[in-house]
Amino acid sequence: MADIQPPVEEIRALVGHEFPGGKYTVAHWENFLLTECTGSEPLPDGLVHPVVLFHMPILGANTSIGGMFALGQAESDFSIGIESYDWEIERPLHEDVEYTVTGRVTEADRMEGPRRNDRPGVYDRIQFRFELHEPGGDFAASSTITWTYRRSAA
Amino acid sequence: MNVQVGDSIPDWVMESVRPERMRTMAAILRDPNPVHWDRKAVAALPFGIGERTINQGPLGLSYMLNMLMGWTGPTSVRRVTVRFPKVVLDGDHVTAGGRVTAIREEDGVRLADCDIWLAREGESPSLEGTATVALPES
Repeated sequence: MADIQPPVEEIRALVGHEFPGGKYTVAHWENFLLTECTGSEPLPDGLVHPVVLFHMPILGANTSIGGMFALGQAESDFSIGIESYDWEIERPLHEDVEYTVTGRVTEADRMEGPRRNDRPGVYDRIQFRFELHEPGGDFAASSTITWTYRRSAA
Repeated sequence: MNVQVGDSIPDWVMESVRPERMRTMAAILRDPNPVHWDRKAVAALPFGIGERTINQGPLGLSYMLNMLMGWTGPTSVRRVTVRFPKVVLDGDHVTAGGRVTAIREEDGVRLADCDIWLAREGESPSLEGTATVALPES
């Protein structure tokens, strides 16, 4: 794996990287469109569809999908694969509530072998963890994203 | 709610995965990856998929969430952990299913642990994982 870029040390050094963090409020229009995309009717009582736990933590932590691709030095958008998503919901999320969001890299390392829908090869496995807290400080939810970044030899 | 280990969760069916929903989702997510909205970009990949866009992972996961919420209610989902062995494509007919693997109590709340999956008919799952839901009292 000597010719693979970036150097594995740069990938491993991502562990502990913290995103700036911030606040995120889901507006009714956003929840409506998001829920429609899932094929569901709107949920009652201003409940936000839990699928929000993908993008809300990312944007709330003041990063982006593209920013996370770039952080892992993705070779292209097509080089990214999903290993898993792990979402915990301590308290259901609601529209028009300002949540505090934090996020960081929890695991990062180089792997070799088969990857989903892909030929065997070298890839970097990077795990991100985001946490959401309610305005009073209580933990509301978390999202753990594990992506793989395919690498080609130089 | 009377739930036993081994019970099946009522299926939730997406009759046809629609590409326009992927486009809306891409905008909401600020997802720059063209595999979700550019069929020609997908066709150019060495995956043999043809001109069909690839459903966002979270959208496939959302069908499983809809199944769980349809079963135990909109505030019942406590945890989902999902892996993605195969992609879901525009035009796919997919069904979310699940089975109860354990019943337990935590802080006075009855919880059901479940295996969950999303699959095209007759195929192995495209998405698979586990979930924990709070069971309604009545």
